[in-house]
Amino acid sequence: MNGLIRLELTRALRNRKFLFFSVLYPSLLFLLIAGSADSTSKVDGTGLTLPTYMMVSMASFGALTAVLMGNSERIAKERESGWVRQLRLTTLPGRGYVLAKTASAAVVSLPSIVIVFAVAAVVKDVRLDAWQWLALTGAIWAGSLVFAALGVALGYLASGDAVRPITMITYFGLSILGGLWMPTTSFPSWLQDIAKWVPTHAYAALGQAIEQSQAPHAKDLVVLVVSFALFTGGAAWLYRKDTLKA
Amino acid sequence: MTTTALNTTTPVVAFDQVSKSYGSVRAVDGLTLALHPGETVALLGPNGAGKSTTLDLLLGLKQPDSGTVGLFGTDPRSAIVAGRVGAMLQSGGLMDEVTVAELVRLACDLHPRPYKVADVLSRAGVTQIADRKVDKLSGGQAQRVRFALATAGDSDLIVLDEPTTGMDVTTRQAFWATMREQAAQGRTVLFATHYLEEADAIADRVLVLHRGRLLADGTAAEIKAKAGVRRISFDLADGTVDESVLRDLPFLTTLAVSGRTVRIQSSDADATVHALYGLGLYPLGLEVTGLGLEQAFVAITTAEEARTS
Repeated sequence: MNGLIRLELTRALRNRKFLFFSVLYPSLLFLLIAGSADSTSKVDGTGLTLPTYMMVSMASFGALTAVLMGNSERIAKERESGWVRQLRLTTLPGRGYVLAKTASAAVVSLPSIVIVFAVAAVVKDVRLDAWQWLALTGAIWAGSLVFAALGVALGYLASGDAVRPITMITYFGLSILGGLWMPTTSFPSWLQDIAKWVPTHAYAALGQAIEQSQAPHAKDLVVLVVSFALFTGGAAWLYRKDTLKA
Repeated sequence: MTTTALNTTTPVVAFDQVSKSYGSVRAVDGLTLALHPGETVALLGPNGAGKSTTLDLLLGLKQPDSGTVGLFGTDPRSAIVAGRVGAMLQSGGLMDEVTVAELVRLACDLHPRPYKVADVLSRAGVTQIADRKVDKLSGGQAQRVRFALATAGDSDLIVLDEPTTGMDVTTRQAFWATMREQAAQGRTVLFATHYLEEADAIADRVLVLHRGRLLADGTAAEIKAKAGVRRISFDLADGTVDESVLRDLPFLTTLAVSGRTVRIQSSDADATVHALYGLGLYPLGLEVTGLGLEQAFVAITTAEEARTS
């Protein structure tokens, strides 16, 4: 099991394109969006400055990229190539494969979160209390598990050529509707009503609540917990179906 | 080593009335067989005979519709978790973007009784390509890496599905030499092939599978005699065709006469032809052709069916 995590990680760290998009890209996007914003204008109804607000959005976006993009496509590919079958002939427990993938994605997502924070603090002078930095890191990191489960489910849902467009649509849909690229307060009100229920919105709201020194909203927690249950359940169901078919 | 390993009465592999269908196709049909410790067994059959399905059932990758599959007196998954089985599948993919050595190290990590990575690499003949990326290998090299994964630890049973596919003659020979070493260490080896010659050269027991059923089970020599049927055809001058005389030719399995043309299948063509001349006949345009393995299977099946009906 540890051997597989190590190898998955070695492979992920070797893949420059993946590293760029999951680790550096969110920080670059942060600079692009928040770079010219002054540090006094507030995002409507949040009491947070644009850089502070976008820092959490982009850290969440980076974690989302790391856990969703790599895994869904790889799982679909490795199911097709028969690597998943080969692993079933080893002592690795059935779930070990999925867990190793999730664990290695989690290792990559951590630096992507931390780098966004560092860039925000250094370039845009975002200042928070020590507990807030720690809580933010923990919340965003832990919350990314919801989307790791989604990535696994997608990997087992579609195969080969179909998985990439499905992943892309899901990824951009979640990013935009969840308000990771721009505050949802700039959306028309009907879209805001939809966005409220998108799990990535709840995910970013978790971090923003920490920045506001508030307790997280119960509704956001419920959305995340229900999403996690749905994605994990879906992944488990698809996984079992795939295992019987193989 | 557990006590079951020393208990020779427990078969390594036990199939009891196992069936598996895909839609209306019966891939495996009431298969019953037992493999014993130390045997080297070839699972021989044409494409579509049910070899791969049989191995999938054996390894627990597929569940039988009916019947039971046992490995070392337990279920396939438990035997695999105990590290008693090393397997190489035709459909077994490899992990991309890692090196051969890294992949073999993983296989060693996952085995409860692993060998040293360097030893596994050298035994499988992949030391030279240890640093190469897995997705940059030729077909034959990939097969050897699969073999390395299957032999990463001290397993009691090695299962190989058409292992020499994609290998050239030299690597094929080297491969079987390695395989014999494995068998010499007391392992049970089961391999699927559609080459009778491979089965003949390596196996001490051959199982012939046809349409999901076990057609024959014996030594390679026995199977070869059965599958060694040849077809003889010739013309005879008008008026010299006497079926009753031809019917008494030695080793004859089938006889068909149409006009002047005689078609015979014989299990020993040399002797049959010799006897033909001995009868004083003068066959014209004599042709002796071997039956392909597939046709030989059909010949055996037809013979079996004729016997049972």
